[in-house]
Amino acid sequence: MENLLNFDTGLMYWTWITFIIVLVILGAKAWKPMIKALENRENFIRESLEEAEAARKEADKVAGEYEAMVAKARQEAQNIVATGKETAERMKADILNEAQDKSAGILKQAEVQIVAERDKAIAEIRTQIVDISMAAAEKIIAKSLTLEDNERLIEDALKDYGKN
Amino acid sequence: MAEHGQGTSTNIGDKIIEHVANSDVMIHFELFGVDLSITKHVIMLWIAAGLLVTVALYASRKYRSEERPIPSGFSNAFEFVVDFVRTGILIPTVGKDHVLKWGPLVLSFFFLILTMNFLGLMPIFNYINHGHGGTTATGNFNMTAALAVITFFAIIIAGIMEHGFFKHWKNMVPGDVPKAVLIILIPIEIMSMFVRPFALTMRLAANMTAGHIAMLAIFAPIFILHNIYIGIGSVALNVGITFLEIIVSIVQAYVFTLLSSVFIGQSIHPNH
Repeated sequence: MENLLNFDTGLMYWTWITFIIVLVILGAKAWKPMIKALENRENFIRESLEEAEAARKEADKVAGEYEAMVAKARQEAQNIVATGKETAERMKADILNEAQDKSAGILKQAEVQIVAERDKAIAEIRTQIVDISMAAAEKIIAKSLTLEDNERLIEDALKDYGKN
Repeated sequence: MAEHGQGTSTNIGDKIIEHVANSDVMIHFELFGVDLSITKHVIMLWIAAGLLVTVALYASRKYRSEERPIPSGFSNAFEFVVDFVRTGILIPTVGKDHVLKWGPLVLSFFFLILTMNFLGLMPIFNYINHGHGGTTATGNFNMTAALAVITFFAIIIAGIMEHGFFKHWKNMVPGDVPKAVLIILIPIEIMSMFVRPFALTMRLAANMTAGHIAMLAIFAPIFILHNIYIGIGSVALNVGITFLEIIVSIVQAYVFTLLSSVFIGQSIHPNH
């Protein structure tokens, strides 16, 4: 029977031989490919996470820029609208003033013209009445009237006309 | 010696030792004057190595053919254990840059020791050599010594590869201590160089043998007292111990591997 503490060089040599065979076969065919695959996967995951993080940061940055741009554009639009309004108001006031001035001028001119036309018409009518009266008077006078009658008639006619 | 199973209290100790010890030489074999006799533990070692190589090659087949393999089923479980050794043992001890260099050795230690520990738990190897119990090959200190010798040289080779021949030996002692302290320190460091593998040898062998001795001792009262009812208690207790032995098998494979890796790591990164 073997003792527990017997030296057994056979087993030691076989252990070395077997271990080295296992180490060589599995080292090349199993352990190294697996370690490499695990490292590759680890790197891939880390790189993917880093890329995702970078992309997220980039997106945040772009979104921030976009927001700033929108805010600026909105501000600009507001400014433009405000300026436009102001300009329009001013123009409106100017146009109104001008129109008022113009219409007032036109009215005045029209009044003056009307008065002038009326005076002219009156003067014309007056000459025509005199002519007609003279003609009528000539005819009457030629028949029966005296000089005094003529003058009185003219006077009366003129008086009536003046009243009208 | 009494017949198997008919032992008395006087020779029960011998019987237990017979169960946990290696067999007699089964085939005597010498090559160039080197004794390469085949015993039961040698056969168990071969079975373990064959099983491990077959299983590992099968589990890693995708890793050889694909750039970024996605393991499934058994490969996934196998990868989990490999990654456990890689992230739990290798990276913290030898460092990330040396994993590919020292990973194969450390992984071979872990898986070969684990396979042999588990094989030792299966009570089928008494059929290899009739009359002997199902022992554990890693319970034989000749085998663990051989493994520890590999660790011993791996420590030295790791240091020399990293720092060069002379620097490695200088690294063993701190550089900034008084000369007088070196007189004490150098012998201590030289001793520790040999004590470490010796401790590895004894820890693994003793732990793997102890469980078997305990189980056999618990069975012993059945044969000493010739009482079948004691068997009920013995069997129940041994079922529990078998579960404990499964844990011990894993833990001892882990401890041997971890310490080997730690020593190799210390040689690569001398911390003093």
